[in-house]
Amino acid sequence: MKKVDILAALLLFPVCGYVFYEAGSWPRLPDLGNPGWIPSGVSVCLLIATIMMLARALRGRSLTLPGRLEGVDRARVLWIAAITVGYVVVMNYLGFIASTIPYLAGFGAVLGERRWARLAFFSLVVSVAIYLIFDTTLNVPLPRGWLR
Amino acid sequence: MFLSRAAGCASGRRRVGLMVDLNLLLQGFGTVLYGYNLIALVLGSFFGIIIGAIPGLTATMGIALLVPFTFGMTPITGIVMLLGIYTGAIYGGGIASILIKTPGTPAAAATVFDGYPMAQKGLAGKAIGIATVSSGVGGTFTALCLAFFAPILANFALRFSAPEYFALACFGLSVTITLSGRSPAKGFISGTLGLLISMVGLDPMGGFQRFTFGFPELTGGISFVPMLIGLFALSEGFRQVEVILTAPRVNAVLKDIVPKLKDLKACAGAYLRACFIGLIVGITPAIGADTSAFLSYAETKRASKHPEKFGTGVPEGVAAAQCGENASTGGDVLPMITLGIPGDAATAVLMGALTIHNLQPGPMLFQNHPEVVHQIFSGMIAANIIFVILGLLFARFFARVINIDRKYLVPLIFICCLVGSYAINNVMYDLITCAIFGFIGYLMLRYDFPVAPMVLAQILGGMMESNFRRSLAMSRGDVTVFLTRPITVVILALAIFTTIMAVRRQRQALKMEEELARRTAEAQ
Repeated sequence: MKKVDILAALLLFPVCGYVFYEAGSWPRLPDLGNPGWIPSGVSVCLLIATIMMLARALRGRSLTLPGRLEGVDRARVLWIAAITVGYVVVMNYLGFIASTIPYLAGFGAVLGERRWARLAFFSLVVSVAIYLIFDTTLNVPLPRGWLR
Repeated sequence: MFLSRAAGCASGRRRVGLMVDLNLLLQGFGTVLYGYNLIALVLGSFFGIIIGAIPGLTATMGIALLVPFTFGMTPITGIVMLLGIYTGAIYGGGIASILIKTPGTPAAAATVFDGYPMAQKGLAGKAIGIATVSSGVGGTFTALCLAFFAPILANFALRFSAPEYFALACFGLSVTITLSGRSPAKGFISGTLGLLISMVGLDPMGGFQRFTFGFPELTGGISFVPMLIGLFALSEGFRQVEVILTAPRVNAVLKDIVPKLKDLKACAGAYLRACFIGLIVGITPAIGADTSAFLSYAETKRASKHPEKFGTGVPEGVAAAQCGENASTGGDVLPMITLGIPGDAATAVLMGALTIHNLQPGPMLFQNHPEVVHQIFSGMIAANIIFVILGLLFARFFARVINIDRKYLVPLIFICCLVGSYAINNVMYDLITCAIFGFIGYLMLRYDFPVAPMVLAQILGGMMESNFRRSLAMSRGDVTVFLTRPITVVILALAIFTTIMAVRRQRQALKMEEELARRTAEAQ
């Protein structure tokens, strides 16, 4: 936890600096105040809060958290993140149904489902049902792609 | 999206009716309880109860998840559906509390104390029946109060101009400190990041681009609803992936679900206390259903002639907790609908849903769309009655929902989030926004950075900045404009007071937690 807080602080310091720098470069408008006042003020508040968090972490007073995610559990989260990124990338090209069926099947498999027929049925039914709900019933078009 | 409020207020000072318009309210019932609106309300309540009953899924997540399903609906159909989800999910949390000793939603934690012992005694059906009616009593009372108090507050808020709205936004932001969980610093970081996110896009007065990094998609700002769905729903989905377990099994046999009149009479005192506690807690920003349920339970126990029996399966305990829980819903909606200030995460999502349907919460909504406002009131009252009917009719079904296999539920959550985000504008940018914020939200949840302040700050950031700049324009750059208007000064003072109190309370809580951990370590 201590490491996470320190890492977060190291990521946030440049954000504060960037916002402060960027806000200083904006054009001033007569009688409307400096447009950079609020962003600069917010970046200063962020800086103060980050320093407070870092100070607690360095003094060993970070909050205790649930155990570190390791092994199979971590692999599962990373796999899901990876296939979700893949799904987001291919959905526009393959179309909604053609990309959602393998996505749902892959998702279920990563979560440990090994009843393949059931998983395939679920993936097919959910994909078609969501397509029908949005595209046909609610008139919200979903990507049709090469394969529709 | 949230910028036009103050200008509108300053220009149009037509009064809003000081009291609820009973004619419009009755017409609202006619609209809400007819055709598609009624179907939407029933479906919303039904899904809301299911979402509430499944541990790990919250009311906020339920609303965020189902907002996209309302896009193709008329505004009022969509809104009554979301109100059904909101009230149904708050109630549904109690079902899991009673049957498996795990609250379906955080708000239902107090129901465990007496609900689960009742189930162990073979009275699960009776406990669920009492919980259902109690939630309905609390929810209906508070919805009626909402209908009567909201016009008064909205009428007062019509006097507000840009400086008052700036102060109000500051007050709302001070509330984010209260939503900060265990660490004020982390809550503050989350809130300030939300403010920075709200600044992405065009400058509200100058029109130049800020923090867009050359991406044309960012010119209009970060899409709010995909961000909301990502932070509240997709992040929880990731959490479920992390902790995925075999779903808990419910084996209890439910009988005598419809409560007897004498059982309800015995709970009358608990209802009275819980209704008023819930209303006050609900109106108070940043504390919601969970606090209300605990306070109602504690107060009912204190006032009881047999406090020692509480915790062993006393119906009054279940009644107080459930009634208090749902009694906070109307109070939570009140500041959101009258002032445009969401009091908690669930109402922030509701506010987002209203804006999608081109209804900007705030006093101008009462002036420009009084019929819609009264339909919302009617919808809120009706939603509380409908979930009681559904809860009593389908209690056995909702109990079985807890057994649902997570290996199928979690992918369904993911797909609803992603497709829902895409469906807002039919652009991949929204889908990517949802996915990115989903993962950020998951990391925030995992490492104890609260998510709610980020969303609230994103909503209030635009309001704060634009009204700050408008105030300066009004006063020709004189910053003392914020110190010369009495209402502004009072609201700003309230914001400072709230911040100080919240930080003090959190520090005390943290100290107690550390002391407890130290004593436990010593004892071991």
